[in-house]
Amino acid sequence: MTQENALKIFKSLSDMSRLRIVQSLTQGDMYTELLAERLELTPSTVSFHMKKLEEAGLVVSRKEQYYTVYSLNRKLLEASLFEVASSEAEQIDEQQKREEVYRQKVINSFFKYGKLQSIPVQRKKKLICYEVIAENFTLGKVYSEKDLDEIILRIHDDYCTIRRDMIGEGILRRNGNKYVRLR
Amino acid sequence: MVKDFMEYLTDQVEAGKNDIARLEADGRKDDADFAKVRNNIYDVCRTVTKALVDRPGAGSEAVRAQLERFNREWNAALEQAREHDDIRNTVIGEIKLDALKDVIAHFPEEEK
Repeated sequence: MTQENALKIFKSLSDMSRLRIVQSLTQGDMYTELLAERLELTPSTVSFHMKKLEEAGLVVSRKEQYYTVYSLNRKLLEASLFEVASSEAEQIDEQQKREEVYRQKVINSFFKYGKLQSIPVQRKKKLICYEVIAENFTLGKVYSEKDLDEIILRIHDDYCTIRRDMIGEGILRRNGNKYVRLR
Repeated sequence: MVKDFMEYLTDQVEAGKNDIARLEADGRKDDADFAKVRNNIYDVCRTVTKALVDRPGAGSEAVRAQLERFNREWNAALEQAREHDDIRNTVIGEIKLDALKDVIAHFPEEEK
């Protein structure tokens, strides 16, 4: 277990509603609606808390007909506090970590549900957004202009600017009316 | 009638503050944050009503139109959040619409 996982566990449990959910699940597996009724919360609020508990690895879910049933990850809950607290830090380069945080921040600010809200003015941010758009193209595959534009159009209306910029940044290469993703 | 409506909104804002304080004291930070979202809706509706009701050419008709606009926009946002399995924004969307439904239900009948 890494320190990041340990932090997720402590954060997710430092909330009384989630602690009460865990407590309820010690009595047996339960589905969202039943937990909502027992804890006097709305089903979507329970789903929100369950997502946090799931991300921390404290609960697991399974589908049963129309219901999502949750159960505790007993193995993790039976681990001693000493074991969790003594987890080691992940060996990630600090600079790399900062860049990833920045990249994620830009993506969160400029994209909503896969759509680019506006083209950033700052080049560094623009490049990050174009790299995200490029993920919609297979590396090395040849695209016609029509196919390329259709894909970009699903992300932002100004497909001409984006196409031109992506070529300029060396993300796409143009050969006549054919396009290839380079990176 | 609008005066009663404004009083109702103020009461809801004050009651909401107590809810938030109680949830925070219970160690339920996320639930307290959701309560803040709900409280904010009553506050926004109070601000909108206050701003529009006495404005020449606006009045209670304009308030009603604005509440309906909120309803349309927030429903669309909730739909989008559900489509994308965005749990946090789904919860927020439901809270906003639930509070708005309550606000609309208390909008003076003759003003509707």
